[in-house]
Amino acid sequence: MIPSQYYLVLSAAVFCIGLFGILTRRNALIFLMSVELMLNAANINFVAFSIQNGNLTGQVFSLFTIALAAAEVAVGIGIILVLYRNFNDVDVTTATTMRW
Amino acid sequence: MSVATTIMTPTTLTASVSASNQPLQLGLGSYEGIAPMIVLGLTALALFTVDSVYPDSTNNTLLSGLTVVGSLIALVITGTQLVTGVESTELFSGQLVVDEMSLFFTFIFTSVTALIALASHEYIGDREYQGEYYALVVLAAIGMTLLANSNSFATAFISLELASLPSYALVAYLKDNRGSVEAGMKYFLIGALSSAVFAYGISLVYGVTGSLLFTDVAATLTEGIDGSLTGVLGIGVVMILGGVAFKTASVPFHFWAPEAYEGAPAPISAFLSSASKAAGFVLAFRIFITAFPADAIAGIDWVLAFQILALVTMTLGNFAAATQETVKRMLAYSSIGHAGYVLIALGALTGAADQSFVLSAGMIHLLVYGFMNTGAFLFVALAEHWGIGRTFEDYNGLAKKAPVACAAMSIFLFSLAGLPTGGGMLSKYFLLLGAVNAEAYVLAVGLIVNSALSLYFYSRVVKAMWIEEPASDLTIDGYPTGLYAAIVVAAVVTFLLLPALAIFSDPALTAGSGLF
Repeated sequence: MIPSQYYLVLSAAVFCIGLFGILTRRNALIFLMSVELMLNAANINFVAFSIQNGNLTGQVFSLFTIALAAAEVAVGIGIILVLYRNFNDVDVTTATTMRW
Repeated sequence: MSVATTIMTPTTLTASVSASNQPLQLGLGSYEGIAPMIVLGLTALALFTVDSVYPDSTNNTLLSGLTVVGSLIALVITGTQLVTGVESTELFSGQLVVDEMSLFFTFIFTSVTALIALASHEYIGDREYQGEYYALVVLAAIGMTLLANSNSFATAFISLELASLPSYALVAYLKDNRGSVEAGMKYFLIGALSSAVFAYGISLVYGVTGSLLFTDVAATLTEGIDGSLTGVLGIGVVMILGGVAFKTASVPFHFWAPEAYEGAPAPISAFLSSASKAAGFVLAFRIFITAFPADAIAGIDWVLAFQILALVTMTLGNFAAATQETVKRMLAYSSIGHAGYVLIALGALTGAADQSFVLSAGMIHLLVYGFMNTGAFLFVALAEHWGIGRTFEDYNGLAKKAPVACAAMSIFLFSLAGLPTGGGMLSKYFLLLGAVNAEAYVLAVGLIVNSALSLYFYSRVVKAMWIEEPASDLTIDGYPTGLYAAIVVAAVVTFLLLPALAIFSDPALTAGSGLF
């Protein structure tokens, strides 16, 4: 059996890749993908810790996370679509009608 | 970091699963506690039904009326339960809890929902997709109510998302308006990021404690955890703190707030800055007081973290508000400042004095704030409805045209500043007392200095309305009934809360005692 700390390192790496993507990329769609990576990093943890702790709570929670991530993307894509219609771009830095 | 302290074999896994398989305790009576949520849910379904029966025509009055009636019924149910008193009950195997605190916050959410549904009647006028607008408002209100009742990280995360997702869509509701779309995008991006951080934090806490129920987490932490796991737990707690800071619009996750409040339709700004902020705080109270009791996790001093956050948030919010040129953005920054005041409720839990006093003071401030801040944003909605502009100068001489609304706005603004025109003075006084009792003198000084500063920018609006001469072309067309009614109701309640809090200060200041 693979020790839990390996999973923790893996999930931390995935989480950091997602965070790096959010901080450096300007395309809103890539931003969405990066958020997905971060949520899935949490899922890796939940499933790994679920085995380690000996209960199924974590696995059930990861199912909820997957469903909520899908809902979040649905809303996000809608917002990105109207963003494109108004600004002709999906670059998150072009929309500056207000001061950031 | 050695996490693998115990390695479970498949047999022990099944054994522990079947051991925790208790029967669901659900009698008919237990539904009483979640009746407000059920009523709100039925309201949302009714709105969808009306919208799908008449897909081609929009009956604005019917939709807005349904929302107001639904949230008022939920409000009355909550109020009755609050007055008759309720025992702390756990529902659905401890996933939800109904107690005084959850009812208190449900009361705030339902009253704000009723007010903004009433005001939206004229504000969104004859726009498209009104059925969706009202339904999303009600769905977000259910999410907030559920958040107030949640007793485990699972329900907290789901209800946080249920409150957030409709809010993203509502901020971007004016989809031909570039400001609204930009605000929606920024709110969504920071919201998605913070919910991912929140989920990761929960996963770390689950890894260390093995449970998602707040009470079980606290029990495990009180027993003591392996010293090598303190680091993992600490990172988890900090990440959860980040998720909470986003919802309450506190530093360092406050960047979305001025943009979202300025770009969103004004009733939605009112909804987000009053109800959504209160929802973030009830989540913070439940998580940090129930799940992470300060004495159980001695290694992680979250009280100090909240003291720093409170001071930075209130200072940054008020100083930024003082430099704004548009009224709506000034209110947005002042809303960040008020988040800082309420954070005192968590920062003053030093154990030096009566902890439930300062927590109740924070809750009372959120209640008063729910009315005065909603009212102030609804006045901005009224100004936007008339199309008179957004800056302080555009409000010049408005009192000559609309004295009632301007009188109400003056009540809101002075109450926000802490003058005795409304409950805002007493709730700030309670917070101050709590901070002094807890020997958190820096917070007390911060509260006084910031309140004094805030009087400057709130009076600028009052001065523009009552003293300055109106511009020659200042015209307002009509007096929209719903908006006016909502503003006047908010003003009356804000004003009445002052004597009410003075008379009933003893029962009010025990509102938060259930958590200790």
